[in-house]
Amino acid sequence: MRSSHGVPASRPVAAFNFAALFTLVTVAFRNLLKAKRRTLLLGFAIAVVAMLFLVLRSVSASVSARMIEAATTLSSGHVNVGGFYKVRKRGADALVNERAKLAALLKEKVPEAVGIIDRGRGWGRIVSPASSLNAGVSGIVWENEGRFFNSVQFERGSAENLKKPNTALLFAAQAKKLEVDIGDTVTLVIEGNGGQSNTVDLEVGAIASDIGFMSNYSLFVPRQTVLDLYRFNDNTTGVFQVYLKHASESQGVMERLRGTLAASGYTLMEHDPQPFFIKFDKVMGEDWLGQQLDLSVWSDEIAFVLWITTALDAVSFLVVGVLAFIIIGGITNAMWMSVRERTKEIGTMRAIGAQKGFIVRMFLAEAFLLGLFAAAVGAALATLLLLSLNALHIPIRNDGVRLFLMTNTFKVGVDAGQILATLALFSVITCVATIYPALKASRMKPVEALMHGK
Amino acid sequence: MDALATGSEKRNETPGHAAIRLVDVTKVYPLGKTEVRAVKGVSLSFDTGEFTSIAGPSGCGKSTILNLIGCMDTPTSGEVYLGGEPVSGLSDKELTSTRLEKLGFIFQSFNLIPVLTVFQNVEFPLLLQGRLGAAERKARVEELLTEVGLQDQMRHKSNELSGGQRQRVAIARALVTSPRIVLADEPTANLDSATGERIIDLMQKINVTHGTTFLFSTHDPQVMHHATRVVRLKDGLVVEA
Repeated sequence: MRSSHGVPASRPVAAFNFAALFTLVTVAFRNLLKAKRRTLLLGFAIAVVAMLFLVLRSVSASVSARMIEAATTLSSGHVNVGGFYKVRKRGADALVNERAKLAALLKEKVPEAVGIIDRGRGWGRIVSPASSLNAGVSGIVWENEGRFFNSVQFERGSAENLKKPNTALLFAAQAKKLEVDIGDTVTLVIEGNGGQSNTVDLEVGAIASDIGFMSNYSLFVPRQTVLDLYRFNDNTTGVFQVYLKHASESQGVMERLRGTLAASGYTLMEHDPQPFFIKFDKVMGEDWLGQQLDLSVWSDEIAFVLWITTALDAVSFLVVGVLAFIIIGGITNAMWMSVRERTKEIGTMRAIGAQKGFIVRMFLAEAFLLGLFAAAVGAALATLLLLSLNALHIPIRNDGVRLFLMTNTFKVGVDAGQILATLALFSVITCVATIYPALKASRMKPVEALMHGK
Repeated sequence: MDALATGSEKRNETPGHAAIRLVDVTKVYPLGKTEVRAVKGVSLSFDTGEFTSIAGPSGCGKSTILNLIGCMDTPTSGEVYLGGEPVSGLSDKELTSTRLEKLGFIFQSFNLIPVLTVFQNVEFPLLLQGRLGAAERKARVEELLTEVGLQDQMRHKSNELSGGQRQRVAIARALVTSPRIVLADEPTANLDSATGERIIDLMQKINVTHGTTFLFSTHDPQVMHHATRVVRLKDGLVVEA
């Protein structure tokens, strides 16, 4: 290949020339080792920020995962088909009519569901001789709740106890506040559709470990107890909870179901991304009568706590953004120093035939290696730190922190995807920070670069 | 243009032989608000296979002329021809390719890449070319390192070598792509006289065996007398060609 001036053009270096690439990486790696002090200082800074980033992202991801777990265990499927029934304008019940017909329809129309259960819904106050607390009431059919019983850990009592009528499953923090134990009686007070208070005495059949702070507001009783309290007939239920293989499919399935149910003659409420109990006031103020279905996804049912992950994400991106900005400045400066120190070397390379692109790639390779190794150290430290803290089973006593972390003991999972994302992010950041000095290096005139220091 | 330069210009009238030709080349450098005329209308011609010394005191324009021939600098006016092809108007990419393919460089301070071994330094231009496979590169580099007497130092880093050995590595690197022309800027200036002699002897041997055109600058009379031709410069002008 010859240029228009008869100059033989060399083959592009980096595209397929692996030997040149290997040399380029070797030069980059050895230059990093040569400038030990600078490499260590920069590497330390990058590693610290990478560690912080991974810790914050892991906490956020763990909180988010626990939210999904808590929501889908306690009060929600991935997709929920609930509804309200109004027999008068100033009232509303969380009720779905024609339970059997809707169950069959959902089974047919959501074939990808890994499970569909239905629960009675209510809201009431649990009263013990010592104390009282508010809770959302779920009326469960024992035989259908395999997923639920697999998820909860019983501290005292057993699932078997809950087969008996008018029994209750409490969570540890609730039992502690109410000062009750297995076999004790608590009273559940609900407000009926007519404004009257209905009550029932419940025997504490099981006490389960808390599932984040949300379990503080959850009470599980037999389905019949809810029907009796609200005077509902047997062909009603509170909500159908549809479980999918992947939570990410939730929105799509809900959208599809909306169309399917509307086509089947059901009246649907506008999608309102809020938990069902928040919708009561709005529904009670509306003029319609009869049945309307309300479809939601898991995140709607815990919308009131989603700010936690949003806040965590915002904080982590802000902190890491500021620190990244600082280290980008540091890397740019350090790389520029490196360029200045190696000006003669750059001039030599250019003189003996290295194209500008080679010089750019050489410095980018150096930056990439620095970012990758430093981020790997940071990720390793973050993993070690989190695993060590997890192993200590540190109890979280502060209610605010418990609410924030959605757990009663410190436990943060470290995800391989997050680690890889950290490595990629910091490798890219160091490369971006090096673009300017690398370009400046490549644009040096060989003759001037060779004269450097003379 | 002085008479001697005009005399050298006569060489160019024999077409087909000139490996390098400079025609009325001027180089002016800005220096603050003034200008320095480093080369003043020089015309020179060098035939293939010459072993030529460009001599003269410091600041006479030796390095400037080598840089202009080496496509590392461009003349303010005039034209440089390599193998009959003008180099003015070439892009940076084309000039770089010309340096890689047609020229070899030997520097006063050796200019080896410090983090690479002797073998890797010599192999480097071949990697930039990207034409030869690993086995061919290895054979070529080992052949040259044997020729310059460094077959036992191939895995050493440059800082583990003496000055003379480093310059031998630089010579091997300059020759590895089989260039038509090797330019050496004061190749013995950083060496003791005995080592310098050996380096010039080695260059001369390669000039004879490979037929490579050698142009080297020097102000050392002992080195100069090895040259088959001496071009003398003074104040940016050719005073003897």
